[in-house]
Amino acid sequence: MEPVIEVKGLKHIYTDSDNNRITALEQIDMQIMPGEFVAVIGSNGSGKSTLARHLNALLLPTEGSVKINGMDTMEEDNLWMIRQQIGMVFQNPDNQIVAAIVEEDVAFGPENIGVPADEIRKRVDEALRIVDMEAYRTHAPHLLSGGQKQRVAIAGTLALGSECIVLDEPTAMLDPRGRREILATMKRLNKEKNITVVYITHFMTEAMEADRVVVMNKGKIVFQGTPAEVFSRVDELEKMGLEAPMASKFAFELKKSGAKLPKGIITNEDLAEALC
Amino acid sequence: MSIKLEHVSYTYMPGTPYEKEALKDVSLEIKKGEFVAIIGHTGSGKSTLVQNLNGLLHPSKGIASLDGINLADKTKEAKAARSRIGMVFQYPEHQLFAETVYEDIAFGPKNLGLDHDAIDVRVQDAMKFVGLDFETFAGRSPFSLSGGQMRRVAIAGVVALNPDYLILDEPSAGLDPGSRNAVFAEIMALYKKRGITIIMVTHSMEDAAQFAKRMLVIYQGKVIIDGKPGEVFLKEKDRLLEAGMDIPEVYKLADALRARGMRLPSEITDAKTLLAEIKKRKGLK
Amino acid sequence: MLDITLGQYYPGNSFIHRLDPRTKILTTLLLIIAVFLANTAIGYGILCAMVVLIIAVSGIPFMMVLKSVKPLLLIIVMTLLLHTLLGQGEHVLYQWKIFKVTEEGLQMGVKMSMRLILLLMISSILTFTTSPIVLTDGIESLLRPFRVIGVPAHELAMMMTIALRFIPTLMEETDRIIKAQTARGADFSGGNLLARAKNMLPILVPLFISAFRRADDLAVAMEARCYRGGDGRTRMHQLAYRSGDFIAFVFAFVMIGLLAFLRWGLALHP
Repeated sequence: MEPVIEVKGLKHIYTDSDNNRITALEQIDMQIMPGEFVAVIGSNGSGKSTLARHLNALLLPTEGSVKINGMDTMEEDNLWMIRQQIGMVFQNPDNQIVAAIVEEDVAFGPENIGVPADEIRKRVDEALRIVDMEAYRTHAPHLLSGGQKQRVAIAGTLALGSECIVLDEPTAMLDPRGRREILATMKRLNKEKNITVVYITHFMTEAMEADRVVVMNKGKIVFQGTPAEVFSRVDELEKMGLEAPMASKFAFELKKSGAKLPKGIITNEDLAEALC
Repeated sequence: MSIKLEHVSYTYMPGTPYEKEALKDVSLEIKKGEFVAIIGHTGSGKSTLVQNLNGLLHPSKGIASLDGINLADKTKEAKAARSRIGMVFQYPEHQLFAETVYEDIAFGPKNLGLDHDAIDVRVQDAMKFVGLDFETFAGRSPFSLSGGQMRRVAIAGVVALNPDYLILDEPSAGLDPGSRNAVFAEIMALYKKRGITIIMVTHSMEDAAQFAKRMLVIYQGKVIIDGKPGEVFLKEKDRLLEAGMDIPEVYKLADALRARGMRLPSEITDAKTLLAEIKKRKGLK
Repeated sequence: MLDITLGQYYPGNSFIHRLDPRTKILTTLLLIIAVFLANTAIGYGILCAMVVLIIAVSGIPFMMVLKSVKPLLLIIVMTLLLHTLLGQGEHVLYQWKIFKVTEEGLQMGVKMSMRLILLLMISSILTFTTSPIVLTDGIESLLRPFRVIGVPAHELAMMMTIALRFIPTLMEETDRIIKAQTARGADFSGGNLLARAKNMLPILVPLFISAFRRADDLAVAMEARCYRGGDGRTRMHQLAYRSGDFIAFVFAFVMIGLLAFLRWGLALHP
């Protein structure tokens, strides 16, 4: 199987307002296969948002390459194909909704690529149904909750025909209910529609639900693996300003006190099973 | 000494097709020296509630008062009363405007009509309190700082008003764990050292559990739960979930252990105690 | 939080509400021409009756439409006074020093102010019965043929759409900033013009910074969703004329014909 996303030796350097050259990303190698649910975690300034923008050709590599379904982001002819295939959902729900009516906003993507009117209608209805927002079809976005706005944004990527969705801290500005809505929606899309998901977050409880977790620090991928592998490294995560899930922390502490516990405890259930 | 709401209702845009009753007959008292967490999902009415608490909004029905002074009055007394209740809005760094950190923090004290020296004392004091070195930061542009530092400048701007009551709307939103801990250390210092009453709106059950002494849960414009966080999380789990809220991880972990047959005391409210209890049961040090 | 009504759209499902926005824009223009054609008391009478009829059909409270005259009330009164007091004419009704009220002047004043009131009411019926979003679609569609002579129809419509989308958001934001600064004791009322402008800085600076940040975010989000201008772009909503639109056009042309007849026809056949 071909990877959806293939990043090789990616380096990103930018010049800040004081004319300093800053390396935001370095030596990034990453492959994401179709149907995977990958979480990317890292503290503020670790480069995870910069990486997200490379996946949609919003930024281009200083060195190295980013390939989407085999298409290099550096080649201009690939640009619109890449942006159709990789849907993006950003952090601030307010700042990514273009139209003043929900369904018009979902239609924005397909309208841009010149899909015929009947087909747009079909795609919009289908996309709103999938994210469970049909009831709000004709609502004004500013009257929706944060979670609902983000679901509209997800519907927008589906209507564009994206088979891979990159979400850049989609729940950072949401309340607990909104957070649950978005994570559940993405898990469902991943399972039922086989949508590939790259989920950037600073909530470890969300990353625990992924197939694979990529940990970033200071512009580099530090380590990656299954949630069980990643979250067992409690002290390393804490050094990077990240907090491991409570069950992992407990397992870590209990082991230090001499308890014999199996590897890879991350959920409360895991810990309870091991202890009782 | 207390802020009191008596049968307060608040309606947005009355008499229009967009009319919305955001608060419905709320009565409560917040006494001096309390640390109250207010939780509720977006649109539950919690923002409306706190704005009624500090006189930014005036009740459509009922009375909001501080020590018996109606906050809706137009008298000097009422104005003075309102100024005793400080408010740090959500993402307060988005309200910074001045050219230097000093000027921004001085904005409030200046509006109070203090003289130059008094303002200076207030600014220095507030900066010290939020852990920003005066020499390093006073002359810098607030917009050149990091997100966490900007938020501390914004909080200092409210602290400089010397309020008796401080309302904070989502003080930890969008901060990474390091900055979050720094901000809470300052809030706790305001509470403990200065005796400022803290009213904190939050989405984070962890924050409410860790810091607050009392918790109000707002749902559909009403206060549906009012109690100590420990008790609320133990006894009101179902109603919290129904209100779109959550319970802190430590309660979930304790529940998972109990479900598997570990006998734990019922009143475990923090991770340290839980860890100690587990160690005790497993014969670990 | 929600103290915001955008424009003055009055939701409804009347015959007028359901008309195609292009129809409403064009017939509004036609009726405005009809107003300018009116020059007799009968003509104005017919126009007034017409406005009342349209309002009745639209289901909008009459007082609400009348209120739309309010912002220009001063100008209307001035028009009436100037024409009345300074008008020329033979039949002097009243004279005091240089001011004389003539029958012709009075007539002219009443006509001109009637004209203003009718224009305001007719155009506000358009905005009362058409949501700004639909109105934008209508304008874009009507302007499209003029693209060949360089009218940026799509860009204008996109700007209006984004403005409509973000005005409520920015108003909420303004409200929040005002409250935050008020909570810090700011006073926005006192002082002369300069002092007041300076008082506004604590609101304007954060508002501008936020607006730029939003614009930046939005541009990135639009690009990520394959936005590349109007070329090759399709629309989900296709506007289509229906029988009701035909009736509206006929009505508007009949009004023009009627007033044209009153103006010129009577003169030809005394």
